[in-house]
Amino acid sequence: MLLYVLRRFASAVPTLFVIVTIAFFMLRLAPGGPFDLERPIDPLIIENLKRAFNMDKPLPQQYMLYLWNLLHGDLGPSFTRRDFTVNDLFRFGLPVSVQIGGTAIAIALVFGTVLGSLAALRQNSWVDYSVVGVATFGITIPPFVVAPILSLIFGVYFGWLPAGGWGAPGSMVLPVATLALPQMAIVARLTRGATIEVLRSNHIRTARAYGLPSWVVLYVHTLRASILPVVSYLGPTAAALMTGSVVVETIFGIPGIGRYFVQGALGRDYTLVMGTVVVIAVFVVVFNLIVDILYAYLDPRVRYD
Amino acid sequence: MTEAPNIVPAAAGIAPADGEMALGRSLFQDAWRRLRRNRAAVASAVVLVVLALAGLIGPMVAPHSYDRIYPQYVRVPASFEAYPKEDDIVPAFESALARARITIGATEVNGNTVSAPISDDEPLDPRITRYLDRSDLFSNVRIDQLSADGRSGVMLADVSRLQFIFGTDNNGRDLLARILIGIRISLAIGVLASAMALVLGVTYGAIAGYYGGKIDSVMMRIVDIFYSLPFIFFVILLVVFFGRSFILIFIAIGATEWLDMSRIVRGQTLTLKRQEFVQAAEALGATTSGILKRHIIPNTLGPVVVYATLLIPKAILLESLLSFLGLGVQEPLTSLGLLISEGAENIRGATWLLIFPAVTLTMILFALNFLGDGLRDALDPKDR
Amino acid sequence: MADIDNSILAVRKLDVKFHTDDGQVHAVKGIDLDVRAGETVAIVGESGSGKSQTMMAIMGLLASNGRVSGTARYRDTELIGMPERRLNTIRGAKITMIFQEPMTSLDPLYKIGRQMAEPLMYHKGMSAREARPRVMELLKLVGIPDPERRINSYPHELSGGQRQRVMIAMALANDPDILIADEPTTALDVTIQAQILALLAELQQKLGMAIVFITHDLTIVRRFADRIYVMRRGEVVEDGATEELFVDPQHDYTKMLLAAEPTGTKLPPPPSAPVLLQGTDVQVSFKIGGGFLSGPPVLLQAVDRISVALRKGQTIGIVGESGSGKSTLGRALLRLLPSEGRIRFENRDLSKADREEMRPLRKELQLVFQDPFGSLSPRMTVGQVITEGLLVHEPSLSTKERDRRAIEALKEVGLDAASRNRYPHEFSGGQRQRVAIARAMILKPKVVVLDEPTSALDRSVQKQIVELLRKLQADHDLSYLFISHDLTVVRAMADYIIVMKQGKIVEEGQTADIFDNPRHSYTQTLMAAAVDTTKFRLAG
Repeated sequence: MLLYVLRRFASAVPTLFVIVTIAFFMLRLAPGGPFDLERPIDPLIIENLKRAFNMDKPLPQQYMLYLWNLLHGDLGPSFTRRDFTVNDLFRFGLPVSVQIGGTAIAIALVFGTVLGSLAALRQNSWVDYSVVGVATFGITIPPFVVAPILSLIFGVYFGWLPAGGWGAPGSMVLPVATLALPQMAIVARLTRGATIEVLRSNHIRTARAYGLPSWVVLYVHTLRASILPVVSYLGPTAAALMTGSVVVETIFGIPGIGRYFVQGALGRDYTLVMGTVVVIAVFVVVFNLIVDILYAYLDPRVRYD
Repeated sequence: MTEAPNIVPAAAGIAPADGEMALGRSLFQDAWRRLRRNRAAVASAVVLVVLALAGLIGPMVAPHSYDRIYPQYVRVPASFEAYPKEDDIVPAFESALARARITIGATEVNGNTVSAPISDDEPLDPRITRYLDRSDLFSNVRIDQLSADGRSGVMLADVSRLQFIFGTDNNGRDLLARILIGIRISLAIGVLASAMALVLGVTYGAIAGYYGGKIDSVMMRIVDIFYSLPFIFFVILLVVFFGRSFILIFIAIGATEWLDMSRIVRGQTLTLKRQEFVQAAEALGATTSGILKRHIIPNTLGPVVVYATLLIPKAILLESLLSFLGLGVQEPLTSLGLLISEGAENIRGATWLLIFPAVTLTMILFALNFLGDGLRDALDPKDR
Repeated sequence: MADIDNSILAVRKLDVKFHTDDGQVHAVKGIDLDVRAGETVAIVGESGSGKSQTMMAIMGLLASNGRVSGTARYRDTELIGMPERRLNTIRGAKITMIFQEPMTSLDPLYKIGRQMAEPLMYHKGMSAREARPRVMELLKLVGIPDPERRINSYPHELSGGQRQRVMIAMALANDPDILIADEPTTALDVTIQAQILALLAELQQKLGMAIVFITHDLTIVRRFADRIYVMRRGEVVEDGATEELFVDPQHDYTKMLLAAEPTGTKLPPPPSAPVLLQGTDVQVSFKIGGGFLSGPPVLLQAVDRISVALRKGQTIGIVGESGSGKSTLGRALLRLLPSEGRIRFENRDLSKADREEMRPLRKELQLVFQDPFGSLSPRMTVGQVITEGLLVHEPSLSTKERDRRAIEALKEVGLDAASRNRYPHEFSGGQRQRVAIARAMILKPKVVVLDEPTSALDRSVQKQIVELLRKLQADHDLSYLFISHDLTVVRAMADYIIVMKQGKIVEEGQTADIFDNPRHSYTQTLMAAAVDTTKFRLAG
């Protein structure tokens, strides 16, 4: 088991390295630069700026320098937000995004599995049809439609919740709801499909033939197997949600890190974009690792592969 | 369940093909039959055809062009009644004419014409009709019953009745026309991007699956790495690289959506390669291309078609997301995503700007999802 | 049918229907059935006869689209229509069941000790700790080696036979009155099959429960069962005491089943017959595992230096259990797998022939597979399937000519000409196997490797296929390499037999010699197992 974890960890490092490398060079090869977008300034100032950001050195050297700093946990200064380092930006923004994303994923997991297994147990009943209906709804309607409509109904029309902003009581509700809805829908569908399949399998027939109470058949023998696809789905999804959603953060005006990537790419804020890529990649790698370990714990068959 | 021993002794010779024997149902025919029984899928197909036609033909037959601006009709609400509303005609007429600095008598509305006696100290300049012509409300403006000295007469104008059943946007453009062009753009990007993802994914996946071994593991490792990169990263970088254009957007989306397809096709090819009927073909001495053509490709087709149907809504969503972030198609062209993002900004004053595009997009996405699910169930009945 | 005294399970007018997309399937049509305390009842029938569904209905295990009517009384309790909660006090305690698929019938996610303890925990109210000694005792009872260690194993760590033993142990946990065994040996190798049957017989003597034994193979229950019910298409066509039924079968179907075993022998070809296909020291090895941090790969010798010589008109039977390398050998001889050693066909050396060089020879060297469902492409019509070889080898044929050849080939295997426009899934297993044979025969080959061509089929269909293969051999002077684990079929088909175990030949010789006088201990075990289960008619 320990060897398994170590092996998975070892294979994550080259992945991260490749991602950082591709991102770095793609970004630098894109036309335009961080100092193009402003009013014409004195070339001398630009020279100084470039020197300050190490932009005067050849690209390979900049790359090595970036890697070196990265190894020391330094993501560099932001190009567009001059008073902040990228580390600072993440120190403020990341907790907000993680809080919203984490809550959303927890809600999606709990409600999704419960609804999905209910639907599977009552297959082709009204419970099943309504869960499938709600799930299709949740999967189909994109967050950038849900978000403004929720904001319109609960924020503007009824005024029950803040229509946007961060910090006020209840300001988390609408963003979390927007994020959780589609994930809950997907989890419910996955759980339903898996449960139906498990319920049809031979070992469930065995459990029933031996007169085990239905709660044992359900919780001991069905749930564990039917949650497996949900576990593998949740890895990358949790990583994506916790690193912030640009749509939700834009519409509700939340100071998370979701917007940094788009803003950074448009403003050629190299360090900010790279920082976002690194943070997202680390989250993806870490959550995939957690998922693999969890999966191996739940399913003894994969432990020895 | 019961299998009737249906074996004819060889001596019996060739029996005349009776109806049931000749009517062999292929798997596709079976699937088609199951699909037709799925009411949601059939309804979705109908909705899609209607919307696709609306996107194709709609902009040509719509009363307004998607880029025509009506300055007098900025942000008018959706209504089946024609604009201008009766109460608005006289004030609009008078305010437009007021700029001509002449004396205006009692304005009357008579069916589709407005008239008002006008007079001035000096002879009336015929060019004053332009003040009214310039307005979107009036056309065929003329001065009638001009007195001999040219100082008085009756100003006549036809009222242009314009319909904005979905209302107009912030610039005074007809929302219906914009939604129609938006449907066209969104569907086109969805279909083209999916087609691109299809070609890329099928080729890549089939190569990896067919050759297997080291080539396969390297190719799939590359796919894994692409998976760990935030997908939108590429799209944004591509758009930033080459500027915003229709072609680029669908290429960017296609280039990010082929990963799943390549995995599906690879998995299929790997399974098929191990199937006994492929081994049987090898034992017959069939060539690689013959095996691919007769055995592998026809059998991957089902899942690929299903996945492609589900890919289109994904591509449409991605385009909408890009437009939402301001990286999509450029004004005056529009897409449903762009319309929704404009609607979201105007949510406090003009809800119709959000509701109509959102409903349209939702309808398309629902229909595509239902159709995809229906296809999957039809081709893979064990899922039910 | 008169009531039978001291019947503990009395089934009357049991009827099972399934509602499917293609209409209603009437699986069981109002059957009567009795089980007395301590006796062994066999229910025999081919696939689709409703034998399993009868027991599923009694146990309340029908699929959700199944509807059941009639009665099934266990002692004084009516089982049909009983609420699940009350049914759960009977199943697993008084009536237990083991299944055909030992590979999937245990939950893969839990240790077997834990799964075996569950019936004790929920019927006897024991805790997991209290149940453990009993579980250990049961594992010893069914002959699981090293039970202290095995109790902590997961199902995937056990062999098929061991899993079936675990299932039996679990079934015995609460001292049941009735043990229903649904084809418990079908998925197992012959030697294991014999062991499991012996175990069941021994346990019944020791513990005295009644056994209901469901099987498609009439012959294996002769020594085992007291009474037999023969089922066909949802009806019981005949029932009676075992000996009576074997000696004096009344119903035609029973007679047919008894005669279904392939009979006859094959005479060896004259010594002057030329050797067509010859393999010398053929070796096939597979690499297993290997990779980053997991150590060097292990080489598995699937076929270990085997020499074979197949003469014109000869049938060599290759016998062995799963994993013995017999199928691999067959494919290696046709150069469908990379191998070492020398392979000659007629006067050509094939050892180094690549795919291109082999192509023209494929016409002469054909292969028929075990699984008639997997070996036909589901997207092609039967006509396209059987003429594919003609496209490769006789590309100049016109469409019309190809069609004529297809009709001819279909006729030769006893299929209607109109079948060529239909798709494989519309045919039964036996018909599909005929299509697969037609695909090989249309090329007029000299050598055909038959890889378990009858193993997936019902006995009565098996016999038809064996007869078809014999007729084709006689008509076209074919040479067969007949691969099978089924000694009865091999005996009827082959004139020469090779017995394989773990990639090596353990014994070879003329069929009669091998059967009458096996020398190697493994051959003897194999024969004994087969004789145990199939040859009582000669003894009785």
